[in-house]
Amino acid sequence: MNVKVLIVEDDVVFCRLLTKYLKDNNIQTKDAQTAEVAKALLKNESFDFIVIDNKLPDEDGIEVLEWLAQQKIKVKKILMSRFEDEEIIQRATDIGVKRFIKKPLKPAVLLDLLQELG
Amino acid sequence: MKLSITDNVHLVEPGDFEASEHWYPRVLNSNIHPLVSHFLYLTNQQYVERYCRLNPEANPEAIMKILNYQPKYFKWSGTDMMHITNQLGSKKLTVIETNSCPSGQKSMPLLNLNIEKGGYKRLIEDTFLPAVNAHKEEGKLAVIYDKNPMENIGYASTLADAFKEDILLAKFEKDDPNPPAKFIDKKLHIKNEDNEWEPIRAAFRYVTQMPWSRIPVGSRTLLLNPIEACLAGGRNKSEAYTAYLDFNKEFENEGISINTPITYLNVSLEEIPTYFEKLGKSMVIKVPDSNAGQGVYTVTSENELSKAIQELEKNSPEDKYLIQQLIYSNYIKGASKKDSWYHVGTIPDKKNRSYAFDLRLMMSYTSEGIRPLAIYSRRARLPLNQPLPDGADSWELYGTNLSVKQMEGWSYDDERLMLYDIRNFANLGLGIDELISGFVQSAMATYAIDKNAIRKFDK
Repeated sequence: MNVKVLIVEDDVVFCRLLTKYLKDNNIQTKDAQTAEVAKALLKNESFDFIVIDNKLPDEDGIEVLEWLAQQKIKVKKILMSRFEDEEIIQRATDIGVKRFIKKPLKPAVLLDLLQELG
Repeated sequence: MKLSITDNVHLVEPGDFEASEHWYPRVLNSNIHPLVSHFLYLTNQQYVERYCRLNPEANPEAIMKILNYQPKYFKWSGTDMMHITNQLGSKKLTVIETNSCPSGQKSMPLLNLNIEKGGYKRLIEDTFLPAVNAHKEEGKLAVIYDKNPMENIGYASTLADAFKEDILLAKFEKDDPNPPAKFIDKKLHIKNEDNEWEPIRAAFRYVTQMPWSRIPVGSRTLLLNPIEACLAGGRNKSEAYTAYLDFNKEFENEGISINTPITYLNVSLEEIPTYFEKLGKSMVIKVPDSNAGQGVYTVTSENELSKAIQELEKNSPEDKYLIQQLIYSNYIKGASKKDSWYHVGTIPDKKNRSYAFDLRLMMSYTSEGIRPLAIYSRRARLPLNQPLPDGADSWELYGTNLSVKQMEGWSYDDERLMLYDIRNFANLGLGIDELISGFVQSAMATYAIDKNAIRKFDK
């Protein structure tokens, strides 16, 4: 599958296991543990997807997605969270987030989703 | 694999083991040196026979008693040793420290290419599994850790395969205000997918930062290793030295002893300069609970002494420190030929540089007694046999720690890792007799700390 994905999640083990799984399935993957690093990557590289956790140490994931919309950076957005917060889901819908994924996450489920949306 | 079933907890399932995730890339492509493999396949009887041939004063029965000893608390251990010599050419391995959560699997080439999980499998199946099966407690299985995810995910997936069960992999950090693990009535519980506390019958434990702040003595959950192993010397360097002294006393008539540098315990901050003079203006200062090279200072000048004291004043002014004789870089003219020890060093490279290195040996208790599991070395940054560049401190010459503080265990100072493979091992200048001697020293240190734990906690 010829897509490039950015995973943003502060749990380094999560990132490592997920990026490994996606790479094994021929998906180009990069990861970031903070919103700041994610933004720097997004400014300098193009990605087909961003898969971002809503809870990050320096900013909420939804804020990063809103920043992306303001910057008019084209990337398909997937938001992850443990909680189904209606306000967050509404904000995500307003900026065209493709999917909301509830944690825990099975890597195979994300792979299916990328294939479906890609 | 289910990622993030709750904050900092992942569910590892049977079949999740991925070799490329649990060894450094360089190690995956290495082949074990035949001499090392030969050493690892020798029986305990062969170790004893050979050791006693070269050390005729040693009582073979006493060494066999140690190698066959079944530790009560300290079933899995790792030692750091230095290969040292004196002007008389009397070489030996000296124990620098013993660790109750030793790393090493990711740096160890496979002993048998057909056993994909290597030392992970041997530790889990030969040491942990029999103990868990004999432990009558209800609940799930877990791995709790605060460092080294590369090895701990490997242990979790090996456990999942060995027990054919899902394993909770939980990060249990010192400063986490809402840790996903806690002990309730001395039984470990971990938050599950429903955010409820799941009881745990047994856990592989790699919690290194002040683990006693969250793991109780007398845990009902079987832990490899339990906290008693840390408190008796597996983490506290002063306790370890006390345990070695007790061991040396117990075995003084058996011709064996644990080799350590000259050591002074319970030294206050104010007393440190006195020891600097006493030890000939060089020494090592250690904070007893220090870990991974943090809180360890090599001091070879007044300038380094005042820098070390300043840092100690800032970070741990109330501690009592451990002071050790520094193993010199070279023989110093005029020093005692017998008692002045210096590093053997690596075989000189093409630029004639020889480096201080340590030898890290991991071992565990199995049905065949205490057995070596993994072994590797790390060298210092600067060579021993060339002048120290301006501005460099002595740690560059003597410090062998590889930790790089990024990426939580996936980064390391690659060029200083010395694998025991066909390409690197010969550069250490070690032979099979040194490996046997190192193993015997390590087993003695493990025995000493376990006995210390029994004295402290079995009342």
